[in-house]
Amino acid sequence: MSDDLEFSISEDTLEKITTLKDQMGFTGKEWDEWFNAIVDSYSKSTKNQSKIEKVFEKNHYKSNYKNWVKYFSLNINDIWNESSARDLDLSSNSNYDPAQHSAIVIGAGPSIKKKKHLEMLAESNYQGNIVCTDRSLIPCLKAGITPDKFPNFNVVTIDPLELLKKFYDDEIVNKYGEKINGVFSTVISPVTVDIARKAGIKIHWLHSLFDYDEGEKSFNQISALIVRAKSHINGLPAIQTGGNVGTAAWFVSWQILKCSTVGLIGINHGWDEDDSWDEILAHSNAPKDIDRTTSQFQTLYPKIYNPDFDCYCIQDPTYQYYSNALKEFISRSPEWVKTINATEGGCIFGKRIISRPFKDFLNSHNN
Amino acid sequence: MIKANFKITKESKLDENKKVVEKPQEQEDLTQEEFEEFVSKSGAAGSFMIFRSNKKDSELGLDEL
Repeated sequence: MSDDLEFSISEDTLEKITTLKDQMGFTGKEWDEWFNAIVDSYSKSTKNQSKIEKVFEKNHYKSNYKNWVKYFSLNINDIWNESSARDLDLSSNSNYDPAQHSAIVIGAGPSIKKKKHLEMLAESNYQGNIVCTDRSLIPCLKAGITPDKFPNFNVVTIDPLELLKKFYDDEIVNKYGEKINGVFSTVISPVTVDIARKAGIKIHWLHSLFDYDEGEKSFNQISALIVRAKSHINGLPAIQTGGNVGTAAWFVSWQILKCSTVGLIGINHGWDEDDSWDEILAHSNAPKDIDRTTSQFQTLYPKIYNPDFDCYCIQDPTYQYYSNALKEFISRSPEWVKTINATEGGCIFGKRIISRPFKDFLNSHNN
Repeated sequence: MIKANFKITKESKLDENKKVVEKPQEQEDLTQEEFEEFVSKSGAAGSFMIFRSNKKDSELGLDEL
């Protein structure tokens, strides 16, 4: 093997990597040092993600698993009597053309307010599908993003906690509920789903995958058999949630609705650089006196540079858990799926993610 | 197109850097238990669990279950 490695890059690429090197604080430093830092950071991030996922899994089994089983049992009669999320599959229409279908996933990240994305969407002529996270439902409706203006209007809930009922408990949800499709996991609190149902939202059920890989004795497979015992004889669709409703809404957009273009707004998966540490630590329930000078702390609360939107954000363990998974799943999604991140901030960037201002996204999808 | 040339050295700076970087990391690395405790204390509370499988395709969801 030659001692020299030679390859060609375009001028554009050279300009991009030179800018990125400077932005990452490596101006004037050896290229080797910068490459090394990137490789080191990537391998650390992959290793940490796997370790963090194990901790979350343990915590969920310890604190939440029994409730998931309980809620599924309490929901089963309604699951048998109500629709499958598969009924929302646009490809079942004989005129279906995947290129004609797009969706906007609306998360509740801080850029949604800072960039006035709800106002922009409300004033647009967007003709695609709205896939709203539960937390964003009331703010969307209040901003004028209603099913009267956007008839293909969906809302997603995958978090089993009962406190999510507040996201459906408002007069404006009662006003528009009958025109909204609800996509609900079979293990969410029956109290939440009941409030949504009473508001007129049409319930569509799906399974949230978590232990399917453990075989026939897994909860996923046993609960699927119970569902099939009385109705939905072909079963319900089962989605990867990615641990949070934003990622679940992205999966719903292409796995369930079969939209080929999925735009993201309000999916920051991180704190803004100017958010205070008090706020960040309080939100993640971390002790206020946690030692912020240790390398472990800096690994679990990294400051990330987003080259696509030229901004920094800070992650806590939960946001790392969410964002690393979403980025991984986007990179592994089928070729026919195009993901456009129009959040204009946050930590979602990388392979197969097209970052674009929301205004541009709306301009190209307003026919 | 621009051609980039990289001279591969036998005793590279990479190895030197590794020596410098790895040593303190080994000293500071937490055990799995300590890491779990630290992450838990730092707020490991997501809405739901990420699904992992040996069959990687199923991680992206199942049409029917």
